[in-house]
Amino acid sequence: MKRLECEFEAEVLAAVLQCRWPDRIGTELHAHVSVCEICSDVVAIAGAIEGAREDTRAQAAIPDAGRVWWLAQMRAHREAVEAAGRPITAAQAIAFTCAIGLLGACFGATSSWFQSALHSVTSGSLLPSAFGVIATHGAVLLAMTALVFLVPAVLWLTVLRD
Amino acid sequence: MFPEMTFIDVRRDRILDDASAAFVMDEDAFRAFYERTARGLWAYLSRVTGDRQLADDLLQETFYRFLRAAATHDSEVHRRNSLYRIATNLARDARRRSLARVPFHVAGNDIEHVAGGNDAGSTERTADVTRALSNLKPRDRAMLWLAYAEGASHSEIASVLGLRVASLKPMLFRARRKLAKLLTREGDKP
Repeated sequence: MKRLECEFEAEVLAAVLQCRWPDRIGTELHAHVSVCEICSDVVAIAGAIEGAREDTRAQAAIPDAGRVWWLAQMRAHREAVEAAGRPITAAQAIAFTCAIGLLGACFGATSSWFQSALHSVTSGSLLPSAFGVIATHGAVLLAMTALVFLVPAVLWLTVLRD
Repeated sequence: MFPEMTFIDVRRDRILDDASAAFVMDEDAFRAFYERTARGLWAYLSRVTGDRQLADDLLQETFYRFLRAAATHDSEVHRRNSLYRIATNLARDARRRSLARVPFHVAGNDIEHVAGGNDAGSTERTADVTRALSNLKPRDRAMLWLAYAEGASHSEIASVLGLRVASLKPMLFRARRKLAKLLTREGDKP
């Protein structure tokens, strides 16, 4: 079975990363690296990557910590406001639905044609009465039907989809 | 100014494990943590994604998510692992998104403009490493960078990349072998 690790690997890596390789290490470790495939790979890779790391870090244009902090605070604040606004939107939608329902109830209780239509329903002349209502108040009925479908759709779009 | 630290420095010194910094991330604590980690994290992101602009964006997003997570960390090592784990996930997501649209901008082009030291030899060596790394998978690049640029231990790399330590060892071995061969090939080029 092929070896995946070497017991000297960490020591060799530390020597390279701490710039002790190749001059400031013992001859035993030198001798080991020359015969160990794993450690010679570590020396080659760690040395190459260390150089690339220094170059990359030197060229990095890092934004100021204060700016990152401030932007993060602003974003967190905005998200918190949005999150807090969601129940309010939901409450507004529910209140709107209730208001529509209340208006409908008041309308039903006070409207003479609604009362007569209700009476004809209970007395068995439903179809002619229904056609009459649709013919005379079609627009109102259409608007109320649209509201029944629109309110849940608006509610879903504003609250639940987030 | 706060000195930059690698995983090795942190493990050795253990000077940042005070309770006040571990459980509360106020502005001063954040500034100190940022100064210690941002440059190294940017280098990691730019090497893993191969895109300097994307690394800029992901750096800010990483620190934002780190702050929002409001997680408590019992040591600087855990805090750093958590930060790198967020960065790794963001880089992975960005890669998936860009794969869905256009072929991912693999390391080697954009990042080559970043690379390069003051002397010609250093520039050439860095370009060799960049080209060699660009032939590896993003996960292999991340693994090797964490191991040999950041000095992270196997358990730390496994934690950052979401792997098991037992699985990591053969993967790291294969990635190292492949990079060593690629570097030899790059070095042999006239």
